[in-house]
Amino acid sequence: MRRPRWLIPWLLMAPGLLWLLAFFVLPNIQMVAMSLSSGTIGTGFQLTWDFDNYVGAFGRFPDNFRNSLVYGGLATLLTFLIGYPLAYGIAVRGGRYKNLLLFLVIAPFFTSFLIRVISWRIILGDNGPIIAVVRDALSLVPANFSIINTPLAVVSGLTYQFLPFMVLPLYVSLEKIDHRLIEAARDLYAGPWRRGGLVVGGAGGAALVGVLLFALGYADPSLDGLVGSLPAMVVGGLAGAAIGSLLVSESFVRVTFPLSLPGVFAGSILVFIPSIGDFVNAELLGNPKTQMVGNVIQGRFLQQNDYPTAAALSFILMAAILVAIAIYARVLGTEELTGGRA
Amino acid sequence: MSEHATSRITAELSRRRFLQGTTLVGFGAFLAACSGGSSPSPTGAASPAPGDTTPPSTGPQEPTGPLNFANWDAYIDVEDDGVTSPTLVEFTETYGVEVNYANAQIEDNAGFVATIRPQLQAGVDTGWDLIVLTDWMAAKIVEAGWAEKIDEANIPDAVANLRDELKGLPWDPNQEYHYPWQSGATGIGYNSVSTGRELTKVADLFDPAFATKVTLLNEVRDTLSLIHRMLQAQGLASDNPSEELTVEDAQAVVDYVLPFVDSGHIRAFTGNEYLADFGTGTTWAAIVWSGDLASSAGPDDVFVYPEEGSNIWTDNMLIPKGAKNKYTAELMINWVYDVERAARLANWIYYISPVNGVADAITELDPEAGDNPLLFPPADVVANQHPLPNWSEADESAILDLFSTLTGE
Repeated sequence: MRRPRWLIPWLLMAPGLLWLLAFFVLPNIQMVAMSLSSGTIGTGFQLTWDFDNYVGAFGRFPDNFRNSLVYGGLATLLTFLIGYPLAYGIAVRGGRYKNLLLFLVIAPFFTSFLIRVISWRIILGDNGPIIAVVRDALSLVPANFSIINTPLAVVSGLTYQFLPFMVLPLYVSLEKIDHRLIEAARDLYAGPWRRGGLVVGGAGGAALVGVLLFALGYADPSLDGLVGSLPAMVVGGLAGAAIGSLLVSESFVRVTFPLSLPGVFAGSILVFIPSIGDFVNAELLGNPKTQMVGNVIQGRFLQQNDYPTAAALSFILMAAILVAIAIYARVLGTEELTGGRA
Repeated sequence: MSEHATSRITAELSRRRFLQGTTLVGFGAFLAACSGGSSPSPTGAASPAPGDTTPPSTGPQEPTGPLNFANWDAYIDVEDDGVTSPTLVEFTETYGVEVNYANAQIEDNAGFVATIRPQLQAGVDTGWDLIVLTDWMAAKIVEAGWAEKIDEANIPDAVANLRDELKGLPWDPNQEYHYPWQSGATGIGYNSVSTGRELTKVADLFDPAFATKVTLLNEVRDTLSLIHRMLQAQGLASDNPSEELTVEDAQAVVDYVLPFVDSGHIRAFTGNEYLADFGTGTTWAAIVWSGDLASSAGPDDVFVYPEEGSNIWTDNMLIPKGAKNKYTAELMINWVYDVERAARLANWIYYISPVNGVADAITELDPEAGDNPLLFPPADVVANQHPLPNWSEADESAILDLFSTLTGE
């Protein structure tokens, strides 16, 4: 008997495809229909091809979209900066403690998400331990300085919540790098990254401090704000230059980092997508000015019963994420993701 | 109630007094609330463990369980572990039915009802047997036909002990669908140490000295009507009574408050989470519900009935349509209408009991409680209490939209 060979892959994929059909495609069709409907919860919603829902949703909530993009982007950047050395340390120097260290990265996940966010409310609170150090012990900030209910608190929360999503893919890609390649690079005179590290590290450090100051609202977007933040940027630049020139080697820049790019790509997408759509951190750690698109969608769905606007916002968010990832794939595109034509 | 039970209550009271000295109690209760809130499945796909469900009997009714009971935070008596509730434990001991009490499951009326609306519309079990909603929302649920009719034969104590003032409401004149859980007021709460002075009126929330230390409620009716009355007192708003607050009135309130939100003076809009913020010193003054601070916050956190007047409301027990354990829910309604149990409950949570005769019973438990203005508001306060607004659907969506410009959502 001849086996219908072409059928086998489809049979194997069937559970997954059916799952996607039932829980992704169909709900999305329903959501498109809802986003083009009009009516109220009392009278019911009818499909009227009302494209004004999209115009209204986009025109009314630009600040929320901006918050989502900025906070999601910053959380991705910060998880990368914190996660890369961590993943590198575990992969290269972890030795027989690798598994234990990886477990510790995931350990916080054993506590409920909500409890962890609410704990941050206490930690970052006005009488909490962090404020006690920077305000009371070191007198670094004025008496009315707060962390909770500021953009800094929201971004910190997002960074903390999504750090493991960055560390794990980075670890996987760093761990499988063949150590002989690095030895070969050293044999070929790859030494410390002195001059390059000085320039790249310095510029990167200054830029990072500048971005954080402006994006978190500590500096006004004006010339005065720029001048005011220069000292901090200089400090950041010096720190970056020191790290770049003293701690980073040429073999890392030319071998290790390029080989870990698939992990960087996967990790940043895994962090960016959930953090841009998150609403819990902004709700519990933020203030009325830091609300993200997710908060608006939540409010429209649960408080105001304005389903069409909520559905339209959800679609705009999805589209924005797809566009952002497409651009990102073009710029940093790895072979796996762009079709591997290399 | 037996001698033994009464002495147990007294013991618990003294323990609680001790507990009030620590500010972390509120936080502990809040955490317990959060973890408890996620345990039962609120999705309607309620799946009690096998063996838990007893088939509906045809003869004399048997209590079935577990009873899925959704309620607000700081709304039940708890022992010093922050979780165990004598009222619920004794219910289980008496009827042999577990109570799945989801503390803080309801953080705001609209948000909670949105999670069960699809099931109610589809006519299937919501996963809850007993829910507690404020008058205006309870009225909507009853009018939509989404509440089970309560069988009077099963609730003799509730029928006998409900206070007359709470009877005969237009949306359920014969008490067929709801029984009040507690009544309470919306007013001003503050930490007397942080503020350094006494607060007496709503306008005090806008004192520049408290910039960035103030929160308002995200329940639109409470916040708008309270600030509207403040504006009335200052001659800045219409004379409309709170229950007839219009879209224009809401606009006036939003126009007044928005600059304070922009400047960061108002730091957030919260539900019961303000309890944790008082504990950490993040919030100094806020619009709060009357009993919460006394039951679950520190000794310096004070509630006042503001000079401009306060809101008065009642939260009501309803059995959502299609509830699996309707008879058990009726038993629970009856259970909390026992005078002594109601007195104990009121004396723990500091809200106004709907049960006749609580005043006498509570004085026996705790001589001071009889004079507590939270439990028994004085006459001059009562004279200046106002029901929450009742809006048409069109007005409500317009006002919610206005309010969302304040909350940033």
